[in-house]
Amino acid sequence: MNRIHPAISARAVVKSFGRQRVLDGLTVDIPSGVTYCLLGSNGSGKTTFIRTVVRLLHLDGGEMTVLDRPVSEVDEIYSRIGYMTQHKALYPDLTVEENMQFYAGLYGIGGQKRKEKIGELLAMVDLSGHRSRLAGALSGGMYQRLSLACTLIHEPDLLLLDEPTVGVDPRLRQTFWEYFGRLTEEGKTVLITTHLMDEAEKCQRVGYMRAGRMAAEGSPEEILRLAGLFPRLKLWLAQPDRDAALLRQEGYEAEVSEGIVQVRLESHARIKEILALVSPMDMRLAEPRLEEAFLLLSEGA
Amino acid sequence: MSPSPSPSRAGVVALRVIRQLKRDRRTIGLIVFAPIVLMVLFGYALSGDMSGVALGLVDGGGHDAMRDHIESVKDFSILHLGSESDAEKLIGEGRLDGAVVLLPAGVRVLLDASSLQIAAAIQAAVQAAAVAESAAKQTPGGMPVAESTIVTRYIFGYDLEMMDTVGPAILGLVVFFFTFINAAIAFIRERSQGTLEKFMVSPLSRVEMVSGYVLGFSLFTVLQSATTLFVVTSGFGVPLHGSSLTALLVVLILGAGALVLGCFFSNFARSEFQVVQFIPLIITPQIVLCGIWWPLQSVPEIIRPFSYMLPLTYAAHALRAVMLKGAGIADILYPDLLALGLFFLIFFALATMMLRREVD
Repeated sequence: MNRIHPAISARAVVKSFGRQRVLDGLTVDIPSGVTYCLLGSNGSGKTTFIRTVVRLLHLDGGEMTVLDRPVSEVDEIYSRIGYMTQHKALYPDLTVEENMQFYAGLYGIGGQKRKEKIGELLAMVDLSGHRSRLAGALSGGMYQRLSLACTLIHEPDLLLLDEPTVGVDPRLRQTFWEYFGRLTEEGKTVLITTHLMDEAEKCQRVGYMRAGRMAAEGSPEEILRLAGLFPRLKLWLAQPDRDAALLRQEGYEAEVSEGIVQVRLESHARIKEILALVSPMDMRLAEPRLEEAFLLLSEGA
Repeated sequence: MSPSPSPSRAGVVALRVIRQLKRDRRTIGLIVFAPIVLMVLFGYALSGDMSGVALGLVDGGGHDAMRDHIESVKDFSILHLGSESDAEKLIGEGRLDGAVVLLPAGVRVLLDASSLQIAAAIQAAVQAAAVAESAAKQTPGGMPVAESTIVTRYIFGYDLEMMDTVGPAILGLVVFFFTFINAAIAFIRERSQGTLEKFMVSPLSRVEMVSGYVLGFSLFTVLQSATTLFVVTSGFGVPLHGSSLTALLVVLILGAGALVLGCFFSNFARSEFQVVQFIPLIITPQIVLCGIWWPLQSVPEIIRPFSYMLPLTYAAHALRAVMLKGAGIADILYPDLLALGLFFLIFFALATMMLRREVD
């Protein structure tokens, strides 16, 4: 995989439904080999964007390339794309294994390869013990996991996952993220939409969409910085006012409230330097939340 | 632009469709038993009025007791005839439901093969008469009749009974109805499950997808038509003079047409419930106009062109030709098979095009 070219590159992309512009000049590069998280409230255009990438919707304006191809030719590389919709796209009257066999067949995967791949993916989504159960008899979360497994069956280079972790328990979500991590190490690109901020924090890049545009984009750290949010070190000190003044002298941004000194950290490496200056009785690190950043960014807009 | 259709991907879809239908016991039951129920229903409704059976009687002598007994049956209106050939002719023309020929050497019963109910009633009456005569065998002028000397012969007339002309068409109707409904619902589900959207973003083309469905459904069409054919011929005495394989071929092409029609119309329904609402629109005109119940010549000229646009018209015509006249493939190629094939191709194209339009 080419890591220089973006997996998806959109330039001033426009898509309207009637008079409503759902994508309103969206410009974004989704680099190859990363896990990219699209965030945004309902109706911000996340799903519409994904649907234009796979050409289920045609663009009204702007340009887009997908895996180095113009989006108009994307149907020629469907075998390199894995697309998981919010509908689970499974057959409830087929068993878990039959669903997987069907999707494998669509991509021309058969024989031993199919057997191995199905085994591997069912283990990953923790459904190995449910092979012959009807998909319709699975719980919501299990259904979701099977849908993901079916999407991964043909080892796509570009994965488009529309809210893949809805209804999946935290332990298994962790497994998913580890698996996505492995995929990106192999050079594959994973684009995920989610409402969950803690998931966004695990992605290498995050894009925050609002009203059909990219409101903020970058790594989680970059977004936090963009919003002016930094980690803070809370220090419980014997003489808070004196120590705060000392820290300020050294160039730190320190303030005292209710006897606790809070220091803004440009980077975590500074903690050691701070501890060389003061000796706290107790301390706590407060990481900023992406959620706060997005709230700040939307207020600022 | 897009790669050429791959038979293997269509096969994958076909296998899946078969697996799904196989698991759907209710649908399987409907496919197999509904035609039987329908046939029995139509069979009873159409095998004629039981009171007022027109029976010919040829009295060649020697069985006075039997003659008296048969004449005494209330439901029979007896027509006395001079010879067996007269009786045969009248049955052939549909003017008699059957005839009993009494000869000293034995008794011959001629029955109209088309109306099973009436045939059974006549046979029962003859048996009863024979028993009555045996009881009176010691009386002078009476000759005992063993059951074995009663010979029964079925007549297939030119002007066939209702069930004969309707039976082959019902075979077509049943297949058309179920395939249309099942296909439309299957495609509605593909859409609501999100699988259709997923296909759109896979190497599977629309042509491959619809072809897969045609293949998968064909297996069940064969199963259904074989059952129906069996019930029609053995249960209701409808003759099968032609090859059953030719009849199956007609039904298969009709079924394929019904499938793509169902696929096409699924685009206009948002739910399974709405599919059911298509029945009056799609199925009923075919039933009324296809010439099952009355000849096409009696359909008013203004709407007759519609009859010639409906696949069931051609299927009914072809099935009648095969079953009643023993027609082969060459005999029904034009216009019937050609029209059915054309109907299939047109709606195959429309169905695949509509699937594409759905995307935007």
